[in-house]
This record gives sequence, C-alpha cells and structure tokens, in this order.
Amino acid sequence: MRKKRKELLLALVLLLLTGWMVNFISDVFRPAQTTYGATWRAFRGEPEDSLDVICLGSSFAYCDFNPSLIYDASGLTGYVMAGGEQPLSITYWYLKEIFRTQSPSAVVLEGTSLYFKQYQNYTQQNVSQMPFSVNKLGAIFTASEPELRSGLLFDLSLYHSRWRELGWNDLKKAVRPAERDYYKGYTPIDQVLDGVGESVVEGGRTVSEEDYAANLAWLDKILSLCRAHDAQPIITFNPSYTRCTREQYDRNTADILALDDGVLVYNWTDSFEEIGLTPTMHLYDGSHLNQDGAAIFSAWLGRYLTGEVGLTPRPQTEENAAAWAESVLWWQNYLKD
Amino acid sequence: MNFLSLPFLCFFPVTALLYFLLPRRLKNGWLLLASWFFYLCAQPVYLSLLLFVILTSYGAGLALERRRSKGMLALFLVGAIILLFLFKYVNFALSLAAQALNGLGIAWQAPALTLVLPVGLSFYLFQAMGYVLDVWRGKVRAQRSFLIHALFLSFFPQVVSGPIGRADELVPQFLRPNPFDYDRFRRGLIRFLWGAFLKVVLADRLAVLVNTVFGAPESYGSVQLIGAAVAFAFQIYCDFSAYTHMALGVADSMGFTLRENFRMPYFARSVAEFWRRWHMSLTSWFRDYLYIPLGGSRRGTARKYLNILIVFTLSGLWHGSALTFVVWGLLNGLYQVVGQMTAPLRDRCWARTGLQPDGALRRGVQTVITFLLIAVTWVFFKASSMSNAWAVLSGMCRGPAWVGLSMGLDRWELLIAAGGLLLLLLVDLLSRKRDLTADYLELPRPVRWCVLWVLLFGCLVFGSYGAGYDPQDFLYGFSF
Repeated sequence: MRKKRKELLLALVLLLLTGWMVNFISDVFRPAQTTYGATWRAFRGEPEDSLDVICLGSSFAYCDFNPSLIYDASGLTGYVMAGGEQPLSITYWYLKEIFRTQSPSAVVLEGTSLYFKQYQNYTQQNVSQMPFSVNKLGAIFTASEPELRSGLLFDLSLYHSRWRELGWNDLKKAVRPAERDYYKGYTPIDQVLDGVGESVVEGGRTVSEEDYAANLAWLDKILSLCRAHDAQPIITFNPSYTRCTREQYDRNTADILALDDGVLVYNWTDSFEEIGLTPTMHLYDGSHLNQDGAAIFSAWLGRYLTGEVGLTPRPQTEENAAAWAESVLWWQNYLKD
Repeated sequence: MNFLSLPFLCFFPVTALLYFLLPRRLKNGWLLLASWFFYLCAQPVYLSLLLFVILTSYGAGLALERRRSKGMLALFLVGAIILLFLFKYVNFALSLAAQALNGLGIAWQAPALTLVLPVGLSFYLFQAMGYVLDVWRGKVRAQRSFLIHALFLSFFPQVVSGPIGRADELVPQFLRPNPFDYDRFRRGLIRFLWGAFLKVVLADRLAVLVNTVFGAPESYGSVQLIGAAVAFAFQIYCDFSAYTHMALGVADSMGFTLRENFRMPYFARSVAEFWRRWHMSLTSWFRDYLYIPLGGSRRGTARKYLNILIVFTLSGLWHGSALTFVVWGLLNGLYQVVGQMTAPLRDRCWARTGLQPDGALRRGVQTVITFLLIAVTWVFFKASSMSNAWAVLSGMCRGPAWVGLSMGLDRWELLIAAGGLLLLLLVDLLSRKRDLTADYLELPRPVRWCVLWVLLFGCLVFGSYGAGYDPQDFLYGFSF
C-alpha cells in the first residue's frame, strides 16, 4: 500500500513536471510581441494599479494612441491593450484580464470594431499572447474561431515550427520576468503612403445587422465591466480619411448611449484642424495616423482627458514617475530623429 | 478519431479509467460502447456495416459449429468478398473494363461511383473471415456471447488499421479478469509515445520530401529519385509501425496483448524473410487462409510458385485498388519465386567467396540487397499511376545525378530526419535481442523520466503537427 502511494505520488510529480516543462517551452517558442497589438508581456511589466487610462480597440488604437505622449501632455499614465482587427468579444476578455492588475479611471475604446465581423484575421495573435487565465479560456471559447481553439489552448502547436529560428532572446524572454517598455502598446509608423490625405473615402465600412447586434451585445458587457470597476467608458472614432457616413456614426452614438447614457462618445473623424493634424502629413494610409500624427493626437487627447473629461493623474511612486519621464524622453528623441 | 488527435487524447484516459473502475461484468460492455463510439467518430454512416459484419460472422460461426456446411462457409466468404469488392474495387474494375472495351474499339466511359470506403473494412472483414474459417476448421469454438464477438471485431485499438487479430488469441483476453497493472500501463504508454515519435517526427517529415519528388519526378536528378525511393521505404515503415506501436501500446496499457506486426523488417536477408517480418498479421493471414488452402508447397514446385504469385497479387490488391498495387504485389511474389529458383546458384556463389553463411559481411550484403529490392517495389506502392512509377524508376537510371531544386526539406529538417532515423536504427538493433519496453521499466527512475521527456518533447517540438506543417494521414489508415 505504501509503495502504491509512493508510485502514485511520483506519477503526479512527473505529470506536474511535464506540464511545467510544456508551459516553459511554450513560453520560449511563443514569438515576442512588442508592437502591432496584443503586447501583453510588456503590459504585465507595468506596476499594479499604476495606469490611469486603458486604450482598447484595433489597429486604430495602437497606431493612434501613444501613451507616453499622453502622459507628457497630461500626466495620465496609460497603456494601449489593443489587437489587430480585434473584435469587441476579444476586447471584453482583454478588459477583464486588465482589471485583474490595473484599476484605470477611464477606458478609451476606439469604436471602429463595431463594424467588425464575429471573427477577423488576427485571432491567433490576439488571443495566444494573453497570459493563461480564466479570461484567456473565455476568449478562446467565446471569441475565437472553433477551428483555432485547440491550437490556442495548446499554443506550442502554433509556434513549434520556430525551432529553427530560436535564439537566446527567446530563452531569456521565458526566464526573465516581464519588463515594461517604451512602446506601452503603441506601434509607430514612419510613413505617408502616396496620395493619402487628399480626399475622404466615406461609407465603405459595412457590417451585417447580425454582426452589429452581436457587437453591441459585447459592447454592453464591456460597459458593464467598466461600471463595475468605476472606470469611465469613453468611445472614440479617431481622425481618419476612411470614414463611415454621418448617418452611421449617428446610429452608432445612439445605440451606444442606449446601452449606457453615461458613456462619453466622441467622433473625431473629421476633427483634423481642431486637433492640429494635417491629413497629407499625418495620416499613414488614410485610416491610421502615422507616428507624427499620433504624437500630435496623443498630446491633444491627454489635454482633452484632463481638461474636458476631468481625469486626474493618480500619484505614482518616484520610481514609476522616473520610468515614465524616461519613456517620454525616449519618444521625444525618437521622433526628432 | 485519429490516435494523434485531441479527441483521442481525451477519449483514451476516460475509456481506460472507467474500464478499470467498473465491475468485471460491465467491463466488456463498456469497452464495446467505447469502441463503437471510437468508430462512430471516424465515420458514423458505416457503423451499420461493421454491425452487419459482426452479426453475419456471429451467425455464421454458430451455424458452422452446429453443422460443418461448406455451403454456409462459402456463402459467408463470398458475401464478405462481394462487400469488399463493392466498396473497394468496383471503380477499379469498371475502369479496367472501360480500358479493355476501348482497346477493343468499343467506346465506353466508366462511371465514377462515389462510394466512400468504410474505415477499417479490409481489416475487420479479414478478421471476421479468419474467425469463421477457424470455426469451420474446428480451431476455435464459435463465440456464443454476442458482446464478446462484437468486441473481438470492434476493439478500438485495432478496428481501423489492425493488427488483424485471431479469435483464439484475443477472445480469451476479454474473458479473463483484467485488473489494472501499473507496469503494463507504463509500458503501453511509452510504446504509444514511441509510435507517436515515429509518426510525427519521422514519417510525416519524410513524407514532405517523398511527395515533393514523386510529384514531379522529371524535375529531379537520379540521386534525388533514389533518395526519395529510399526515403519512402523508411516513411512507410515509420508510418505503419508507428500505428502498430500506438495500437499495441494502447491495448497493452489496458491489459490486452495484440499481435505484433513488425520485427525489424529491413534487417531481413531475403524478400521472403522480409515478408515474415513486415505486416506480420496480414502475411500470416494470407499464409493460413489462402496460401495453405491453395496447396502451399505441398503440390509441387510449379504450383508452389503459382500460389506465391496468387497470394502476393491479392495482397497487392488488398493494399489498394489500382494497377500500381497489383504490380507491387506481383513484384514481391516474383522476387520470392526467382529467389527460390536461384537459391542453389547463389549458395554456390557464396560458397566460392568463402564467406561464412552467418558472417557479418554476408549478412550485411544480403540485407542491403534485400532493402534495395524492396525499395524498388515501394516505388509502385507510392506512385500515383504506372506512368508516375515509370518516370521515377527510369529517372533513376538516366539524366543528371542532381538538380538544384528543393526537395521540400531544408538542411535542418533533413538533420532532424537523419537523427530520428539513427535513433530508429539503434532501437531496432537493440530490440533484436531485448524487450526494450520491459527494459525501460528496469531503468532508474530519472533515466526513465528523461527517456519519456526526450520522446515527448521530440514530438512536441520537431513533430509535424499544428501550424506550419501538413500532417499526413496514416498510410494504412482510413483508406483501407
């Protein structure tokens, strides 16, 4: 009996060790994501309860909001936790996961994802980078394509073909604790495509009624979550030359306010002059801002959030304040170059 | 449900756990339900066909035990052959008929019937035929318990791709008490893992190279074509033996012993010996239920040679309904006939060299020659058509030696394949004289754990699965 118990215990140890090793190897193989959304590792490096504003959404969020420059203009600390073409369903799980470690006073959601289909193109990247948690399981089972679910549950299967390209950095990434970075979820693009900013493209964005209703349902959950955590929900439509029609935006605003009349909805799609943006210089591709445009917009947004919305920066530790100041300096030098 | 799929990795622990927890009288019922569920997952529509074969073979067994009627036996066997023909060979027969008629100047287009081959039909039908023949011969008693008989034909580790079991070996295992045996459980799992390693690290990796070269043989040089043929010889061995290891491993972990299917076939010194080591459950089936009833070697030399050719041609047809499989089978038969005819001459030649019959050099030369002969036959097995096979074989003898064109695998992939093959060679060499799974249990615990992790992480890291890879179906899998 004693021998049996010992064998059982050792079998359990073997299973646990194997599970730990699989998890470790998955961490080694999972590619580092520092830009283009889903930058969970750097997010986990931010000190707990240190962020004032969380920016959510899709590429419109991670290309347009530069948290370091929002901080420079307002003292508000923030992070862009967005994902490429990220539907609101995944955004909901992102926000739930964010609330585990942060207590932002405002959540800024770029609203173009109201026009996304149930599944877009980057589910694998957006979900696999999430830290393993109940929220990741939620994202896998309620917001990911069924055919991707087993891969997302066991994401070594998605990345194990990287064995030929593995380097020391991959190992270091798995061994070292998460570290914050200067990007804070933002992705700079240093380019203006030919012909951009000359004429507005309007009305090209459509969504089926079914998908729109489902998106509103997820948005409702996001808004409830914000309320439950005392975070002011703010929905923006950022400056862009690829716009919906006025009627579409009016309908979106009405539908959002019908869900929660305390939401602040801002349509800045044609506010270039007010913000100080020049379309031919500050748009990348007609839809997204380039890094110079994002710098102007982020500074303006920082001032808007403190001045108009009334957000106040929370006290930061000396060390954290120094880190943010360093990040601002880094961006100022980067943009000067 | 594939052995290497997430559903199976959930199905098996639940099945095994409940099997060992349930009281003895419920164990077999549970195993049968689990086996039918396993089969349903593969192809729900053809469970009825499996049930039909179970019912008819059950009835035929009982009837033959009561009255040893040749008519009843013939009725069952002809019925089984018709079933096999309908599902597996009717399109092939129609295309042959169309070719023959066109050759005679009669224009006729063969209709392409869209019949899906029921999973495992060739395996469980042969097993059922073997059982009925054994009852008729009085070798086994007819099974009175329908549950046991159904389990004998449906047992999930073997229902899809064998090994083709025998009633006298398998049925008693369902009837005896079968308590949980921790050593068997561990032994079975390590064997399963070794099978998984062979499949995902070796077979599917080699498949990329083989498929690339066989897909456009005219684009490659002779050395590359020879390389691809040799690679396929290893691919098919790794692929099918992987399935067998997994099937036997799963069964062993639950306390059941299935027939071995392979015994280091590429160490054979003759083609005849190769066939005593390759797909042994099928070879022995053909020997016991076809070759010997045809007269075997008892009716003179010419008849013996004819019997060999018949058996191997039918074996080729069993493997697939195409001319390439017929040629593959026939070639294997011819090798053996020629081998037997030239045996005295070859013995005299060997005697002149002065080499010992069991000396290492003589053994090595014979092994290499046998391997090369077999590798040539595999070209027909792999080729999509006779013209494709001819393109590969003729390309081996002419044209440039090497063409600077990718063969589908980069040098890193080739390195992994070479490393895996070396490990396979080592394991095969060691298992000539030892029971490696039993040895595994004798190893110190840290070494055992390391072996397990090497295999597991070998599969997880270098295996052909998931994103970036194109996992292949088992060659002896769902199309049989």
